[in-house]
Amino acid sequence: MTVFLLFFVLPSTASAHAETGSVGGFVSGFNHPLHGLDHIVAMVAVGLWGAFLGKRAMWMLPVVFPVVMAIGGALGVLNVPLPGVEMGIALSGIILGIMVAAAAKPPLWVAALIVGTFAIFHGHAHGTELPKSANAMTYAIGFVVATGLLHLAGIAFGLLDQWVWGRWLVRAGGVVIALIGCGFLFGYL
Amino acid sequence: MNRTRSHRAGSVWFKILILFLAFHSVAHAHLTIEGVGQVGSGIMHPLMTPPHALILLTLALCLSQRQPFDIGKPMLVFSSVSAVALLLTIPGFFEEVSPVILIGIALGIAIIVAVGKPTPAWSGWVLCGVAAAGIGLDSKADSGSWAEILKTLLGTWLAMNGVVAYLAAVCAHSGEKLWSRTAVRIAAAWIIAICVMMLAFSFRKVS
Repeated sequence: MTVFLLFFVLPSTASAHAETGSVGGFVSGFNHPLHGLDHIVAMVAVGLWGAFLGKRAMWMLPVVFPVVMAIGGALGVLNVPLPGVEMGIALSGIILGIMVAAAAKPPLWVAALIVGTFAIFHGHAHGTELPKSANAMTYAIGFVVATGLLHLAGIAFGLLDQWVWGRWLVRAGGVVIALIGCGFLFGYL
Repeated sequence: MNRTRSHRAGSVWFKILILFLAFHSVAHAHLTIEGVGQVGSGIMHPLMTPPHALILLTLALCLSQRQPFDIGKPMLVFSSVSAVALLLTIPGFFEEVSPVILIGIALGIAIIVAVGKPTPAWSGWVLCGVAAAGIGLDSKADSGSWAEILKTLLGTWLAMNGVVAYLAAVCAHSGEKLWSRTAVRIAAAWIIAICVMMLAFSFRKVS
């Protein structure tokens, strides 16, 4: 009876089902970008801003972000130090949120530069946090697909821009993203 | 009376059930065809080996973007080189190709696709040759008789060529539409990201 009760009292210490193999790698990689509000808002903001900037940018930014983020991730995996990662991530939410809120339309290369710079920080953070036992291929696929889907979610939201009410809604989304970024920068989140 | 009849009927069904249970192992509704085992596993090999699948996918995307779409010569190079490379694994000259080289091949092709600039025709042949050599030399069949090894390699060769030709044709079918070309470039960008991360993983394991 005592042993039986112990089983019920201590269930959380048990971990009989470990994530291993290909599925574990994919699920682990897929979940990783989705388990941080800071990452989510930045990636959605990239999609939102892209939708604001026009058709070319709408697809250019989601191409730039994962590639540069992967380079940042590689630096993180290889333990190459990068200063100010946390601040860079918080600033990414603020800057990208402001860009969306202000409906800013800089030249495409400037937008790509801004997005690419922040992608390095996000990638580096992911790279240093990722599990050592993960299956490299499936982890990378899950990670990139989740990131891409967050961009697509942002683009889908940004497409509301074609209606007046939608435009205000998208800009309000930018304000919320900037506020979340401020929350991270000043330690409220 | 009715009870007796139903009892008899139940008894008959029970006997039939017992017979089924007794002789179920004799039944063989699904027959295996001799030789498919090796060919089948050969077909599955490039599809289930992530770096191989990545190279095949990227090469297909690359070939599909060529205007006008003509995969005749590139596929001739691909099928010839892959056949030679697969046969070279039989004497045991090549055990495996380093995953870093395979990922590097996929990365190189993906960069060409993502950039989206037109490239000379010979570059397609070179890419096909390099990709076929990389996958072929990395597809050594496990031990077995000559016939079994040849069947496995035949399956691998069929899968390699079938996947590239089919995917290239499918992508090229809607390739003239802007959304399709954009989607291909985005897919290539994602493959670049995957390859970069995989390379980082490889180098971390080495260090």
